[in-house]
Amino acid sequence: MKFKEKLKSDKFLITAELFPPKGTDISPFLQRASALKNLDAVNVTDNQRASMRVGSLAMSRLLLEMGIEPIMQLAARDKNRIALQSELLSANVLGIENVLVISGDHPNAGEYAGTKTVYDLDTVQLIKTARLLETGVDLAGKKLLGVPKFCVGAVVNPSAQPNDLQALMFAKKVAAGAEFFQTQTIFDAYEFKAFFDKIKELKVKVLPGVTLIKSVKFMQFLQKLPGVNIPQKIQDRINSASDPLAEGIKICSETIKELRSFADGVHIMAIGMEEYIPEIIRQSEK
Amino acid sequence: MIITSKKPLDEILKSVSGVNTLFIVSCGSCAAKCGTGDQKAVAELKEFLEQNGKTVLGNTELESACDMRLAKKDLLKNESFQKADAIVMLSCGAGSQSVEKVSGKIIISVLNSEYVGSTERIGIYKKFCGICGECVLIETEGICPRTRCAKSLVNGPCGGFVNGKCETDQTKDCAWVLIYEKLKKNGKTEKFLKQYIQPKQNKDY
Repeated sequence: MKFKEKLKSDKFLITAELFPPKGTDISPFLQRASALKNLDAVNVTDNQRASMRVGSLAMSRLLLEMGIEPIMQLAARDKNRIALQSELLSANVLGIENVLVISGDHPNAGEYAGTKTVYDLDTVQLIKTARLLETGVDLAGKKLLGVPKFCVGAVVNPSAQPNDLQALMFAKKVAAGAEFFQTQTIFDAYEFKAFFDKIKELKVKVLPGVTLIKSVKFMQFLQKLPGVNIPQKIQDRINSASDPLAEGIKICSETIKELRSFADGVHIMAIGMEEYIPEIIRQSEK
Repeated sequence: MIITSKKPLDEILKSVSGVNTLFIVSCGSCAAKCGTGDQKAVAELKEFLEQNGKTVLGNTELESACDMRLAKKDLLKNESFQKADAIVMLSCGAGSQSVEKVSGKIIISVLNSEYVGSTERIGIYKKFCGICGECVLIETEGICPRTRCAKSLVNGPCGGFVNGKCETDQTKDCAWVLIYEKLKKNGKTEKFLKQYIQPKQNKDY
């Protein structure tokens, strides 16, 4: 069953994400991907945190060839409306239907500070554009020869305050045509239950994001990212653990276990430690 | 007004390296008001150029350097202006180019044009308007997301705001949180939900 069809089922959906390589050596990427064959789909990021890497489309296609269903992330940051539509069509002709539409981290704090940002379309406009292409015309009103078919996803951040505004944006993206959502990382499932319950009314699947904290140093790095808030009790557990990675795996699987009781699924961000994802899932099933 | 900033002195020095006689034209509007083209700035520049072996034949303040009619009237008959190897401009890019257009002289523009600023107090300017040619203020409660959102998102925020501040700069308000607070106050969140702003028709060129 395809991811698009699974979204209509009651299955607890599990996705993860992979970063394309910076350079042409794809072997570590493929190695990491091989641990994710049993997942419902795997995201491929689009120059995440405004770094420069191999494109999401190329790596998504390689996943497909391995028998893994990809979700191609597409950031509005780097492409104008011509390039965005072209990328969507290119994805489709290479067999990729799932796209996650994002605005994209601003380059300001990254390795490409000072680059020219595009943001020609915003996320709502980009979702609508993907839906428009499916009707057989493009933004210029020109007819397409062959019509694409997408499964369009978007993001919502449950921890951004005021989160009423995030809930409104969720509804707005659903109205624009988003079929599923993945969220920024959360570390405490119950803290956000009220938010997830609230947006559940629209009956669109939401996969909350969880992150594997692999070390104390990594936790400190995470803490500095926009929109990330690690609760004190989680910080204490990692700081006092004799094996922070094992503790991180435990925390991750506990969160997933909690999510299983009320959420539609989970999106696991292991950031280079994808080989532990099968173990995280196993522990969450206990 | 157009906010300008001074180029570094070593850059100015490099750009006047091939010329000996100079004439300074400053703008009495925006550049004078934001302190980059006022009489003090002219005097400082003149002193700096002379210390570095240049001859400054004179200077004129135009009421608005971007008005080509004024540039024509106040400069073309000025002998020192005509005699100078090059004209050093203390104005925005529009001013410099107006003077270039009417005179055909070599122009050394020593200010950087930054943005259209609203003055909070002298020296503190806010970038509220990006002069984009397609105003959305009617739809966005009088607060421009095209200019004040780092990603120019016109249909709502990204997920990067933290306690009302922008992910790119914790000292900057998230434009969408400001808009949202006003929508809420005015009972218009429903309107926001239904509103869709089309992709902008860019007229860059």
